[in-house]
Amino acid sequence: MSPTRSNTPDSPPLSFRAPRISVVRETHEPPESVVHALTLAGGKNPFGEPNYRAVWGWNRLTWIGGKFEEHDPATGSLLREVAELRQEPKYPAVNRWHIEKWLPAEAYGSPRAWWAQTVEMANGRSIPTLGPYPARGDYEHCLTLEGKSGEFVQLTVTAAEHIARAIEWSRKHPKWKSRRSLYDREGRADRDYEAFAYDILDDAVPAFHRQPFVTVL
Amino acid sequence: MPAQANANVIALQLEKVRDKVPLLYERDDILLTMIQQRGDVEKVSSRNMRLPLQVNPGGKAGSYNADGGDLGRGSGTQYDVAQISPIFFRFAIEITKLVEYATTGRERAIENAAKREVAAGMKQFRSFLDKLMQTAGNGVLGTISSIASTTFTMTVPNGAALVYPGQTIQIYDTTLTTNRNVAAGVTTTVLTADPVTAQTITVDNVPTGTIATDVIVHDGLTGAQPVSLFGIKYHQNNATTGTWLNLNRATYPVQLATPRVNAGNAALTPSNVRLAINKVRKSLGINHISKLIAYMAVEQEHAWENLGITVSQIIKEGGTNSGNDLDLLFTGRKTMSGVPIKSSVNADQTRVDFLDLSHWGRAVLKDIDFYEVNGNTVFPIYGASGGLAASYIFYFDTAFQVWDDSPRTGAFIDTLARPSGY
Repeated sequence: MSPTRSNTPDSPPLSFRAPRISVVRETHEPPESVVHALTLAGGKNPFGEPNYRAVWGWNRLTWIGGKFEEHDPATGSLLREVAELRQEPKYPAVNRWHIEKWLPAEAYGSPRAWWAQTVEMANGRSIPTLGPYPARGDYEHCLTLEGKSGEFVQLTVTAAEHIARAIEWSRKHPKWKSRRSLYDREGRADRDYEAFAYDILDDAVPAFHRQPFVTVL
Repeated sequence: MPAQANANVIALQLEKVRDKVPLLYERDDILLTMIQQRGDVEKVSSRNMRLPLQVNPGGKAGSYNADGGDLGRGSGTQYDVAQISPIFFRFAIEITKLVEYATTGRERAIENAAKREVAAGMKQFRSFLDKLMQTAGNGVLGTISSIASTTFTMTVPNGAALVYPGQTIQIYDTTLTTNRNVAAGVTTTVLTADPVTAQTITVDNVPTGTIATDVIVHDGLTGAQPVSLFGIKYHQNNATTGTWLNLNRATYPVQLATPRVNAGNAALTPSNVRLAINKVRKSLGINHISKLIAYMAVEQEHAWENLGITVSQIIKEGGTNSGNDLDLLFTGRKTMSGVPIKSSVNADQTRVDFLDLSHWGRAVLKDIDFYEVNGNTVFPIYGASGGLAASYIFYFDTAFQVWDDSPRTGAFIDTLARPSGY
């Protein structure tokens, strides 16, 4: 983009063409009020960190190791393979706010099981595909703030707090009840299909089933 | 003029609803119909459909000596061709003479009878095909783990989930070579099925020679190693032997293998999910997983809820109807580490599949419709004597096959434990 400023005696000469600025990674920090609300709603973990936190997709990086394939964007053909450990965005929705919850190290199994499951051999090297064992636990994805059609939803104190409290409330329900509600949902989907089918088939028959329409006073 | 037969009236009613049949079938709520008929291959003939695949990249990279050195030769992209041919499926619905007696002279009653049978039949047919989508392409609906008289206890993961009461089944030996029903000359029908708790089915006839480890396949398959709908376990498979869409897996052991995470009979953990998603990301490119869905049984969705990091279904239901913005967050998509969840009562109870449906398609030879002979869609039934039986029959039929042109763009976690209480 060409600069639009004109030369003045105090300003540097603008004879160069300024490089086009391309933002490749947009980062945001959650507002202090949201951090505070989530801490109040979910409490703190044994390390004194909040159990719940809000993160912007581009800010949330995680270790990914192994053999990466790089493809030509135009043709899709394989260009090269690289074996390495990288930090990459953890969630596919990088331009959305996410609510995360802290899980203790036990949720990831023992360190031995972690290494057994996550180490991958690539080009003769052992690469921990998920990085080091999360000895202090880690934050896991709870919910992406977006609308029903995937549209952006702004992070607000009310939304963040509501989500944290809903998850905590979910945890209070017995497991059988949670299981029952999932089966109930499937049963409802079944009945929805029946209703849909009858509605569709109703469209195929004549109005009043060809009975004469008579006004009765 | 001959008297109007019930079959004519029923046929008339079926004709009225005929153009609605595809709408009933294609509703986008089960995995099968989420897989689109693809425009480029929508209609195929009875010959094999061909899917060109780029199996290896071309070109020779390297350094060279600019001081008169030899630059060497090049190479081109290597292609191979996967092939599929459609399978014919039918669903037969019988209406007994009783319908005629119950509906004679009443247009609305006959409409209702036809409507009821079409709606119920289509629901069941879709369910049957969706169950086949969970299989490995050989029509196996379950494995018998033990037999007590006419009750089979079925092996988890599928358990008794892929059969329904009233379904005609066939029993094969574990190598899919001997059809026990053909050998014994009997037909086996499922009487009851318990896919939630006991994983048992009861049948009317147990063919001679049936043993534990035998498998159950659907009606209509014949011969050894039968071929049926190519389901998830056919395409999402990390085997390096056997065939895939007529290609030898041993020839392309890397290209045709779907990345697998073995959970080792342990419960679902976030690290299982990250491992599986990362395998796709490494293969596809780090930011190319937006089209993935996490497909799983209700049991594994429950296991994910049990981790306590998601809003449970109970709360989601409580959030409906009031219509404010916060409720939209809960009525929207449920995700697994950010990947939308699609769950099914038919899916394998010990598995989570990450599918990129943009690579899946249906090759259709015949669209869903009533089976028709010379304009007739309803046919009389004949009794054992050769005389007429007091019922009529009509069929839905369709011919298609399911393909996935890039098995490496998915991933799966298998051998997961089911949460307790199942």
